[in-house]
Amino acid sequence: MSTPNLMMPTQTSHLDIRGLGKRFGSNDALSEVNLSIKRGEFVCLLGPSGCGKTTLLRIIAGFERADRGHLLLEGRDITELAPHQRGFGMVFQSLALFPHMSVADNIGYGMKLRGTAAAQRRRRVEELLEVVQLPAIANRPVSALSGGQRQRVAIARALAVPPQLFLLDEPLSALDAQLRESMQIELRQLQQRFGVTTVVVTHDQTEAMMLADRLVVMKQGRVQQCDTPTEVYRRPANAFVAEFLGAANLLPGTVQADGSVQVLGAPLEAGTSLAAGSPVTLAVRAQDVRLHALGSDAGAAGHAVGDIEFVRDLGPEAELIVRCGADRLRCRSADSGLRQAGVGQRVAVHIDARRCSVFAAQA
Amino acid sequence: MSASLWSRTSSGSFRAVMLALAGLGLVVAALPVLVIVVMSFSGDGSLAFPPRSLSLRWYGAALDVLFGGDSDSATSAFESMATSFTVGAITMCATTMACVPLAYALVRRGGRWRQWVELLFTLPLVFPLVVLGVAYLLLSETLTRQTGSELGLLRLAIPHIVLALPFVLRNCLSAMHGVGRDLEEAAMSLGASPLRAAIDVVVPLMKPGILAGLIFAFIISFNEFTISFFMYTIDVRTLPIWMYSRTVSSLDPTTLAISTLIIALDVALITWVDKIVAGKGSLF
Repeated sequence: MSTPNLMMPTQTSHLDIRGLGKRFGSNDALSEVNLSIKRGEFVCLLGPSGCGKTTLLRIIAGFERADRGHLLLEGRDITELAPHQRGFGMVFQSLALFPHMSVADNIGYGMKLRGTAAAQRRRRVEELLEVVQLPAIANRPVSALSGGQRQRVAIARALAVPPQLFLLDEPLSALDAQLRESMQIELRQLQQRFGVTTVVVTHDQTEAMMLADRLVVMKQGRVQQCDTPTEVYRRPANAFVAEFLGAANLLPGTVQADGSVQVLGAPLEAGTSLAAGSPVTLAVRAQDVRLHALGSDAGAAGHAVGDIEFVRDLGPEAELIVRCGADRLRCRSADSGLRQAGVGQRVAVHIDARRCSVFAAQA
Repeated sequence: MSASLWSRTSSGSFRAVMLALAGLGLVVAALPVLVIVVMSFSGDGSLAFPPRSLSLRWYGAALDVLFGGDSDSATSAFESMATSFTVGAITMCATTMACVPLAYALVRRGGRWRQWVELLFTLPLVFPLVVLGVAYLLLSETLTRQTGSELGLLRLAIPHIVLALPFVLRNCLSAMHGVGRDLEEAAMSLGASPLRAAIDVVVPLMKPGILAGLIFAFIISFNEFTISFFMYTIDVRTLPIWMYSRTVSSLDPTTLAISTLIIALDVALITWVDKIVAGKGSLF
């Protein structure tokens, strides 16, 4: 790729991230990150902890300086701009509500800094509290709020002065599972209502799938894949992405002459363009493996065979671990017979060939 | 832990020893104060403990000495008190104005410097006060001789500031620790410049620590004797110096009444600090 031309930004993009790099000591927190975010888009930075997603968000917000690369907001270089000159709204992981201010003062702080008249400020605060479904708490101290309420106040505060960019750092991580789910829906609705370009950092893949227009999957400071959630889920770019998005099994295999993949001692008609004989990694989700009980020494022609090693009841279905030779396979089954058969049961393993992904094995 | 210490099953002798030690400590610490307070209410003309009668006459005398008459001792007593309050106020303001920004800088970007600066500020506490007094006397005399300018109240205020700094700095540092970086960043993301964020968010949240530091500085300055004893002049002297000069020849019950008033002021201020720092679940 040629060096990006700063004079000619892509017209459709709202925020352009070009060749961003950041080192902490001898550690590359970010290297060569290129990303272009469209106006009104909801982008999710997803990855395990330490993958650089928070660093990227903090560079966008201006709290961290990049060592290399540029940030362009509508074609204007904002790399050197201080955080308070950027006009981005941010929701922090800790929420960072000002504990010495009331709810109204928290939400109105940005407007106060911009010299908005008190009466107008009050109206806007009421309006925002209405939007986040918290009417009539304007005068309460922040300490009197529940976790979910604080969350909403933090969101309202970040949106009070319509921001160019709405940034959220693990915004829902402090909430319990049920509340988190409803807040995810609310957050998505709010974002669409305000039409604000949004970047959210999360390590929770279901949250990312649920919220985002586009996922940016990161690992060790590099973008692994950047696409719509469906596309990332269906066609992960590599074994890491597949595993991070819920593929419980990464199985070693070899490409056969007929284009099938030999895995767990049986051929599988998984589509691959890799040359015959090349070693591959096959990513399979637990729910895409079906098991059939076999007699104690019966074989199953054309299918891998294994023994159940572990069964864990999850309620509607069971999680099973099947040992096939040297490999272990995690799968899920709703078959009650299989559940009862339990450890030691010999099973035939059917892998859904259309739902697994094949990658060249890492050296 | 206390439950097991005081439970009925623990040995009686252990409990007795603990109680005796605690009682001894209390007596040693409180006895001088108690004696002075009791004596200040004495109705007798001479000092003898315990007093045979009780009255408020020494308080009347004390108020008279401090605020009342036009005699020499009255003006000097009132002036000493005024000096004490002024020097205390200067110490409060100067230490706090130095320590709030310093604590901010040390906590936010101090890194390895932090412990060295803290150590440096604590150093005056380990020097014998007499040595410090001599040193400051030499310094101020040299300065006066070289420049011809009198330091005035600063003669006393500068050493007091040095003595109060470590306490004020500690208070400010611990207050600063409670203010998360994210709060400042939140303010900045909402459009506040770094300075504005510090004023709007950091300082209000440091307030308990700042107030505690202010009061500590005042108490330290108001009670300081040793260095002041070297530094005082005829024009610039503090209340403890005046009281000392009053008692050095003969013990005057008036000073006991003044002492009791000072003790009351100290207790009130310390109670206030305790309220500010510890909140509701505190000792008082």
